[in-house]
Amino acid sequence: MNSFFTSLIILLLCGFIAGKFSNKFKTIALSVFTAIASGFALVPAVKVLFGGENLVQTFNFNSLFGAVNFVIDPLSAFFIAVISVMSLVTAVYAIGYLRPYVEKGKNINAHLVFLPMLFASMQAVVTCQNAFMFLICWEIMSLSSFFLVIFENEKKDVLKAGIKYLVFMHISVLFIMIAFALLSIKAGSFDFNSFKAVLGENVHFANMIFILLFIGFGTKAGFVPFHNWLPDAHPAAPSHVSAIMSGVMIKTGIYGILRTLSLIGTPSKSIAFAVLIISVISALYGVLYAISQHDLKRLLAYHSIENIGIIGMGIGVGMLGLAYNHPVIAMLGFAGGILHVLNHSLFKELLFMGAGSVYIKTHTRNIELLGGLIKSMPKTAVLFLIGSIAICGLPPFNGFISEFLIYLGMFKGLSIHNFSTVILILFAIAGLALVGTMAVLCFSKAFSIIFLGMPRSASAQKVTRDCELSMILPMGFLALASLAIGVLPIFVFVLLLRPVSVLTPVMQYNILPTLSVVGVITLYALAFLVFVGVLVLVKVKLTNGKIEMHETWGCGYNRANNHMQYTASSYASPFLSMLNPLFKKVFDVEKPRKLFPQSAHFSLHVEDIEEAYVIEPILKSDEWFLSKFEGIQSGNIQSYIKYGLIFLVIVIIGSLLI
Amino acid sequence: MIINLIILLIVPFLMAGVIKKTKAFWGGRKGASIFQPLHDFIKLMKKDFVISKTTSTVFKIAPVVQIASVLFASMFVPLACGSALINVSAGLIIFAYTLSLGKFVSLISAMDTGSSFEGMGASREACFTTIVEPAFFMLIASIMALSGNFTFDSLQNILASAGNYGVLIQIFAVVVLFIMILIEGSRVPVDDPATHLELTMIHEVMILDNSGSDLAFFTWANSIKMLLLSSLIAFIVIPQGLTEWMAVLAYLFVMFIISVIIGTVESAMARFRMSHVFEFVFLMSSFALVVLALVVARMFGG
Repeated sequence: MNSFFTSLIILLLCGFIAGKFSNKFKTIALSVFTAIASGFALVPAVKVLFGGENLVQTFNFNSLFGAVNFVIDPLSAFFIAVISVMSLVTAVYAIGYLRPYVEKGKNINAHLVFLPMLFASMQAVVTCQNAFMFLICWEIMSLSSFFLVIFENEKKDVLKAGIKYLVFMHISVLFIMIAFALLSIKAGSFDFNSFKAVLGENVHFANMIFILLFIGFGTKAGFVPFHNWLPDAHPAAPSHVSAIMSGVMIKTGIYGILRTLSLIGTPSKSIAFAVLIISVISALYGVLYAISQHDLKRLLAYHSIENIGIIGMGIGVGMLGLAYNHPVIAMLGFAGGILHVLNHSLFKELLFMGAGSVYIKTHTRNIELLGGLIKSMPKTAVLFLIGSIAICGLPPFNGFISEFLIYLGMFKGLSIHNFSTVILILFAIAGLALVGTMAVLCFSKAFSIIFLGMPRSASAQKVTRDCELSMILPMGFLALASLAIGVLPIFVFVLLLRPVSVLTPVMQYNILPTLSVVGVITLYALAFLVFVGVLVLVKVKLTNGKIEMHETWGCGYNRANNHMQYTASSYASPFLSMLNPLFKKVFDVEKPRKLFPQSAHFSLHVEDIEEAYVIEPILKSDEWFLSKFEGIQSGNIQSYIKYGLIFLVIVIIGSLLI
Repeated sequence: MIINLIILLIVPFLMAGVIKKTKAFWGGRKGASIFQPLHDFIKLMKKDFVISKTTSTVFKIAPVVQIASVLFASMFVPLACGSALINVSAGLIIFAYTLSLGKFVSLISAMDTGSSFEGMGASREACFTTIVEPAFFMLIASIMALSGNFTFDSLQNILASAGNYGVLIQIFAVVVLFIMILIEGSRVPVDDPATHLELTMIHEVMILDNSGSDLAFFTWANSIKMLLLSSLIAFIVIPQGLTEWMAVLAYLFVMFIISVIIGTVESAMARFRMSHVFEFVFLMSSFALVVLALVVARMFGG
């Protein structure tokens, strides 16, 4: 446990030390420190994951906090492992990503303090078992990530997105606070263990607490309808920050939900249903909007919502298993969900980093302006392709394994003989299949528009060389890890059983059938990889020298240019027109006029319906209501002191009355 | 294993040959021999390549991955009414997702040429898949829920597990799978395999720039996909308890009938307008929903 706290302290201090180095070495120093800290944090995590006993460290604070327990159980250990590895990868990537900013003379010292602070606060959140301390760590996490988001604070839309993020986080923390306050009043202590007994007493109370915490943690994770901050904050943040936020930070919301479940024990059926339904909706909503986006990072942000939905489906299936007392279903659901946490952080970080590399080279996030980058940035292109295949859940990569476990759980769930359960699960199966195919559509679009074909603008044309090694290496590591999990799932599955055992008992007879299926997948994926490899080699050997290069076939027309290519909008258009009512489309059209048209353009922007029909009306009425109080803000210090005095008097009178 | 390989090597081409022969018959022509597609395949395999300057490595590797994914997916399907090579629960998912990998690769390979024709084909193909796949999953999962057996074997036991509803479920399941063959195999009325250009712009236009063995692989993969789906139909239709040779014969007979029906449909119908194709695809999902309703009615309706 000591080594874990050493890691926290290193992370908290290293930002200040790294700032003292010369400009060139600041980010390198940060990576070195993060590497050391990650090593220290991994030691206890790995020990617990491989079967060691839970580690506990108790601090006795004053009467306000009570005893503060930091506990590393297998669930926490899993998250610590994910966070520390991803932190290191992110820090290394930041070396290359921040270089152009440093060369332009931007001061990154504050950024270097908040980045490790975010890492440390996430580590603390997943270990802290005291409600009060948990909230403090949670708040540090939100604030440090806010400062990271507004890195380019001279841009107005970045600030706007940052403030939106801040507001959403504080609405979410409000729900968590209320839930914790109710719990600690009932239990008489802030310790999570004491909550367990309280939650076990009354089912309705437990349900209410779960709903409150689900809203709170769900906002962080990005479940629909609490997702709205994600598609704004991720594009605004620099890419390594989007990577760590989307890959890891939003998973602390998932951790919160899982921890709540471990305290509640057996959830009620209706709650399990609700979680499954919300998750299916989130997954569909996320991928649907992802298809309509042209901003690469916005697209990836919507995919985070989709993947959170998939993780949620795993958790929902697990909860159904708990509620109906089917340990096998529960095990499969939770295993799939938890594995998807890891998988998503791997390929989403990879994709965000790929997006960052493209942005650094082309200075645009609009995929309509890109194209043909596979020729100038071959390494980035291959790594992005691996990420794309993995996120679509296709074999032999890691996304497939977790989705397969969730599917398997749902199939087993069909044996629960209950009308609504069977219907719900059948639709959830079709829903997950729909999500998968929509992801294929989305990423075949994204990858091919960015990297294939011909460059669609000068900025894509100008790129001459690939990114530097410090950006390629972390991406390569993530791609390799994605492949490794996809090809050797059986080892990962065995490791997963420890964190799952926190939520549901894992027995030998439960896991053996699943283990054999996963074993079959292992052999299958290996054989597939070898087969493709051999086939490619044979093809290269046989076709050498038999290839003639020619123009793309254009039905006899030989002057095709880059503007005649299919664009991202046109690629997605048949699908989007099929689902017209689900979008708010904003057209900007200037039709060609007269005999010799001078100018014409067409652009289409798709707005989030929740943003357009729920949040904006609320903000409007809010603005109207608040404008009634404008008179109070006089700018006169005396009157502000007067307000303070009035407030104090009210508080004193109030406390006397109570 | 060896029987499977032989079936995969020969039957898809024979089916394509029978379809062409049927069309020739309805058109009053003599038509080419049913072995013609096989000859075409062998001829293509020997040819050199002409490749677009715009393309990258993706374009060269895609046909290989496509054929590998289809061949590997076939391991999960009970060909010739024996058991599948790999018969695990939820094998359906590995089957469908492996096929999806092939589809993903063929989509990006089409986009790699930078041609607007092929972009259009890829876009439509991707769009249809989004509707077809969930319907397929819903169909198979419903049937699996009925028997409580999560392998493809449950297709064979519909009559036993569904009682009175059995025949109805069988009919609708066959119709859904048949529509799926037309869509995935890019046949009339969804697509027209006889034309390569303006008329269709779905699957056939995606492989416009492929040549030599690449083209051969894509056509073969497409025929195998049709064969796999037809094998599922055969698995539903052919009764259990036949001897091994009888089963193989019955299987080949069903393949023959399906090819004749496809050929007849192609002779009798014109290709739908694109907007009607969407309706046709949705028809498949509705039938899949009917199967779901029947299954639920059977399970809980008493």
